[in-house]
This record gives sequence, structure tokens and C-alpha cells, in this order.
Amino acid sequence: MRVNPDMSGDILAAIWQTQNQENTALQQMSTGKRVNVPSDDPLAAAQMVGNQDQSNRADQYLQNIDTLTSQLQTADTAIGSAVAAITQAITLGVQGSTGTLSDANRQQIVQNLLGIQNELVQLANTSVGGSYLFGGTASTAPPYTLDSTSPSGVTYNGNSGTNTVQVADGLNLQTNMPGSQLFQNSAGDVFGSLQQLITALQSGTPADAGTATNQLRTAFDSLTGQRIFYGNAVNQLTSTQTFLQQEQVTLKSQANNLVGADLTKAATDLTRATTAHDAALAAAAKILPTSLLDYLK
Amino acid sequence: MPGLNTSLSIAVQALEANQGALNVTSNNIANVNTPGYSRQVAILNEAPTFQENNITFGGGVTLEQFQSVRDQLLQLRIYEETQQQGNSETQFNSLSQIEGIFSDPSQGVGGALSAFFNSLSQLSTNPTDANARQAVLTSANNLANSFHQAASSLTTIGTGLDQSVPQTVDQINRLTSQIATLNGQVAQMQGLGKDPGTVQDQRDELIRQLSGLVNISVTQTEHGLTLTTANGVPLVVANQSYGLQANANNSVLEHVFSAQGQDITSQIQGGQLGGTLQVRDQALPQLFTQLNDLASQFATSFNMQHAAGFDAAGNAGQNFFNPLPTTTDAAASFGVAITDPGLIAASSDGSAGSNGNLEQLVALRNQQLPAGANPMDLYSNLVLQVGNLGANAKAAVTATNLSLQQLTDQRSSVSGVSLDEETTNMIKYQRAYEAGARVVTTVDSMLQTLMSMGVTT
Repeated sequence: MRVNPDMSGDILAAIWQTQNQENTALQQMSTGKRVNVPSDDPLAAAQMVGNQDQSNRADQYLQNIDTLTSQLQTADTAIGSAVAAITQAITLGVQGSTGTLSDANRQQIVQNLLGIQNELVQLANTSVGGSYLFGGTASTAPPYTLDSTSPSGVTYNGNSGTNTVQVADGLNLQTNMPGSQLFQNSAGDVFGSLQQLITALQSGTPADAGTATNQLRTAFDSLTGQRIFYGNAVNQLTSTQTFLQQEQVTLKSQANNLVGADLTKAATDLTRATTAHDAALAAAAKILPTSLLDYLK
Repeated sequence: MPGLNTSLSIAVQALEANQGALNVTSNNIANVNTPGYSRQVAILNEAPTFQENNITFGGGVTLEQFQSVRDQLLQLRIYEETQQQGNSETQFNSLSQIEGIFSDPSQGVGGALSAFFNSLSQLSTNPTDANARQAVLTSANNLANSFHQAASSLTTIGTGLDQSVPQTVDQINRLTSQIATLNGQVAQMQGLGKDPGTVQDQRDELIRQLSGLVNISVTQTEHGLTLTTANGVPLVVANQSYGLQANANNSVLEHVFSAQGQDITSQIQGGQLGGTLQVRDQALPQLFTQLNDLASQFATSFNMQHAAGFDAAGNAGQNFFNPLPTTTDAAASFGVAITDPGLIAASSDGSAGSNGNLEQLVALRNQQLPAGANPMDLYSNLVLQVGNLGANAKAAVTATNLSLQQLTDQRSSVSGVSLDEETTNMIKYQRAYEAGARVVTTVDSMLQTLMSMGVTT
């Protein structure tokens, strides 16, 4: 049987093939990826779109959590200061409701209480980055202004709207509590009872002052009750953060499974391809130059 | 009893025949690297014998002809495989250009879409933050740019393919007219009982080149070969070629017409032209449809939700993206309608601090569009589609290259020039020539002996 006398085609094909294998292994090792273009593995490339999006989401959720945690902590700190101020007001109220006070002392207490009222308004107008934390969704203007004509001594300019922010897939967390709910709810009205106490000390009886102080106590309890919202929210954010950090690890390992190169395998492939390539070249060098002419004199 | 002169003339015939055979060897060696060359062999025959006194004497040797060694069936298989190769390589080349823009999941439309939703989510933590509002507009514009980029690279590849159609048709026509000329010559020589050898080699090589361009069907008739497209539109009949035509029109896609004016665009499947038309008319439109659907449906559903909210001034949301009435160029005309960050309708209750509508807009991430999946899944399908097209073309290229290599090897084992064989032949003919020459000198000396008889010295 006559055999193909021209081996150059086969030899070139073998050299190209081994070279191609070398390139593939080298590319996998240098990029660390098995899938560099979608046609390398269409399904994995398509799944990577979802994986990348999921990972981007997790990054954003974590960023949201940082922002929200700081907002919530600022709010909680402000409420903490308010609680301290109200405690002081209650102490003053107890002093003011004893019948043995001089007018001068009583005036002194009223002055102190007016100072506390002012401080509470400032605390209720706490803002972060121009956004007022206790104004509901009307957060662009200070929610509280002092108003001597109002029975509560203040005017609430905010609304009762709340915002929720997505911090994980399927988890939308409420991020604010309107001042109207926090300071002035049906269980107790911090501003109203404080104003009542001031009025009682200015023009009422010690018994009126006592009643007002008790009301302030109730409002205090209500406020500390509402304050739990912030603690809970921060706790939830912290646990979500842990979850998301775990998810990021999972997603990275998923991505690695999808498109990552098995470096051990790539290294082995490279060695094998190099050996095959050397062999093809050696064979070419041995076969191509020989012919009968070498043996004829 | 034949005389010395007969021996002399037989020896001279031997010299001529072996010299002629050496010519063949020489020609074979010269063409060892010529593509499409089929080796020739010298056909030597015994010369007519003659009888004298009941003894039959050999009449020497004659060189009948030079014959090319070829396998026509193998040649046809090579044409078929070359068509496949031309097709798959063209598809692979253009499809791998498309892959680039869909390769990195953190870039392109997918990455931009993800970043856009993230910017909305970021804004939802503080809807009055001017920087975060600006960031939403920036990432929306990035998304628009990604759509434009994807659309324009698909368009560029499509235009390139379209422009190559008339060029390929020109090449086809040039080849068919050359083939027709050679075909006539082959038929003429065969009619005279000669081996068409070189002419046929040239013609077959041109047909192989033609196969790389378009799918053809080759039929052997008494007037030579008839070449038609796979659907029977004649290209070459005897020594007549029938040119194809492309409508060189910049505004519409090129169509291919037969010499009779019949539109045969959809019939062309093989070769470079077939590959070009398949990518241009099937793969690209399919990808374009998916991309445009994503662009238009996303813009529409986003606008609808955006209109349900209120901007920073408390007014009802306007269109966020330019409305896309037609879907044919949706990706290319995808654009952000607003430039004022205050117009982002973040609020659901009219207060500037509300993020209610942002939450709804972010939720669109998981909402099914009319095309049957959420935006990111639609994009992911598009990537899958691009990947599958590329992978199939890659596999086809590998497979056809392999089988073409095998066929070429087979053809070469029949028709290829072997230098070892030619060297052997060369020695054989050289020795025979030397021997013939020796007979001449021997006869010559015998004649001299004869002439000198009776001559005294």
C-alpha cells in the first residue's frame, strides 16, 4: 500500500495541536480561569452573570448596612441623651412638686426645665448628612420647633412616614421611627408632659406638678420602650452582616468552581502538552530531512 | 533474422523511453510542493513484435503517455469537507469577535445593570443625598453606554459580514470563469484520448478553492464537470460559467442572485459565503432580538414604576429612560431621559425623605419582564446564547479540520509525490538509460568489426 509521502501536514497539525494545548494550559494558569470567553463553557459563563450580580448585591447590602448602622447608632445616641435629659427633668419635677419650695427655687427649676426642653428639641432634630432622623419621611427640614402657643410647647413638622431599606435578599428593614411615634405617642408624650410640668411650676399647684411629673415618667417609659427598636435594628444588621460575609465566601467559591482553573490540573496539562510538543518537534526534526537521497553517493 | 540495425534502433528507443520517463520523474520532483498537483507516471509499453522464420522478436519499448494518478471520489469528498471548513471557520471568526463584549461578567450590560441597581439601593439608605442621586444618574448612563456598545459591536460585525458578501461573490465568479475555461480544455483533451493531467490538476485545485467559498455540487458529464449550487443553480456547465450577483446596496442587506436573477440567498449554506450569511441572517439577529428585548422591556417597566413615585420636589415621576417605541434598535437608542438628579422619583409618599419607590425600583431586579425572566437572567441567557454559538462553531472547526486533514492525507497517499519513490525511479531510468547506451556502443563496435572484415591493416 502506498502511504502518504508528505508528512509535513500531519506533523504541522500535531505541532499546532500540542502548541494549542500548551497555550490553553498557560492561559488557565496565568488568568487562574478555566472560562475566559463564553464559548469555553457557555453554561458556566451564563451562571457567572448571576453569580457576579449576587456578589455585587452582597457588596451593596454590606455597604447599606454600614450606612444604616451609623444612622441608627446616631439616632440611638441622641435618644440616650434625651433619656438622660428627661431623667434629670423628672428629678427636677419631683423637687418642684414638694410644697416647701421658695418662688426663687421654683423659678430656678423652671429655667432648668426650659433648658432641658430646648435640649430635647435639639436632640429630636438630630441629622446625618442633612437628613433629619426623627422627621419621618419629611427629613429635609428640622422636625421640631419650639412653639409657646402649642400645648406641648413644640410643633412637629415631620410626618409619620417610615422607610425600609433592603439589606439582604427578601429582607427589608425599617430604618427610621418618626418623632411623632417616638416622643409623642398615645402611651406618653415627652414634650407635652414636660410643657405641662413647666406650666404647673409656673402657675399651678405642687399637686399639678406631681401629676405632670408622673406623666413625664410614663412618657419616659414609653420612650425607652420605643428605643428598643434601634437596638433591635442594629442587632439585626449585625447578624445580617455576618450572613452576607459568609455568602460572599460561598459565592467566591461558587465562582471558582464555575470558571476557576484547577491549577494542579493546568500545571499537569502544561507539562504533558510541553512533553508532547517536544516529542512532535523532535519527530519532525528526525523525519522531515531524511530521504533516500541521503544514502546515495 | 533481424540485423544489427534493428538492435541499434531498439536501443535508441530504450534511450528515448527512459529519457522520457526521467522527464516525468523530474516534473514530479519539481512539483513536489505544488498544491493540488497529482503525480504522473510514465506508461511504458512493449513495441509491436515482428516475426521472422517463426521466431517472434521483441520490438523494443514505446513511451505511451504520461498519466496523472488521481482518485476522483476522494476529490469530491475533499470539496464537501472544504465547504464545511469554510463555513465553520467564517462563523467561528465572526462569533469570537462577538464573545469579547460578553466575556467579563463584571463588565458590559450585565455589570452595568448590576451597578445601576446597586446605585438605587445605595440611594435608598439616604434618599436626600445629592451625591447618591448623582451616582444613580451616572450608573444609568453607564448602563446606556453598555447597551450602545453591545449594539454597535453587533452592528459592526454584521456590517463587516454584509460587506464581505459581494467580495466573496466576486471571488466565486472569478473562480467559476477560470474553472469553465479549464473544464473546456479538459473535455477537449479527454475527447482526443489524452490525459488532461496538469490542466485537470489546476481545475480541481480551483474547484477546491471554490468549495471553500460556497457549497457546490459536482457532476461528471461527457462534456466535463458540471458545477451547481447545492440547490441546482448552475455555476459551470462545460466551458460556460454563470456568474452570481450580489446587490451592492449600502442601505439593505446584500442578497445573492443567480445568473437568471433568482434570489438564492437562503439556499447558500456551505463555504465562506454560507457561513457569512448564516451568522448575518441567523445568529446576529437572534442575539440582537434578545438584547433589544432586554433594553426595551427593562426601560418600559422601569419607567412605569418610576412614574408611580415622586421626585425630590414632590412631583410625580417622569420617564427615567427614553421611551423605546420600537424594539428593532432599542439597545442602540437606550438613553436616560433626565439629567437633573432631583427628578429621580425616590419617594412613594411625596416627601423628599421617602425611599418607598426606590425600594420598588430595586425590586424590579427580581421581577419577570414580558420576555419571561428578570433582567439579569435575560442577560445571562444572552451570554449562554453567545457562548453556545461560539462553542458550536469551535467544535465544527476542529472536526472539519481533522477530517479534512485525513482526506488530504488520503489524497496525498494516492496522488502525492514521494521523493523516495522518484529517486528510486530516477536510478531505475538512469541505469536503464546507461544499459541502453551500452547496447548502442556494443552494436557500434560490432558494426565496426563487421566493417573492418576483409580490410587489411
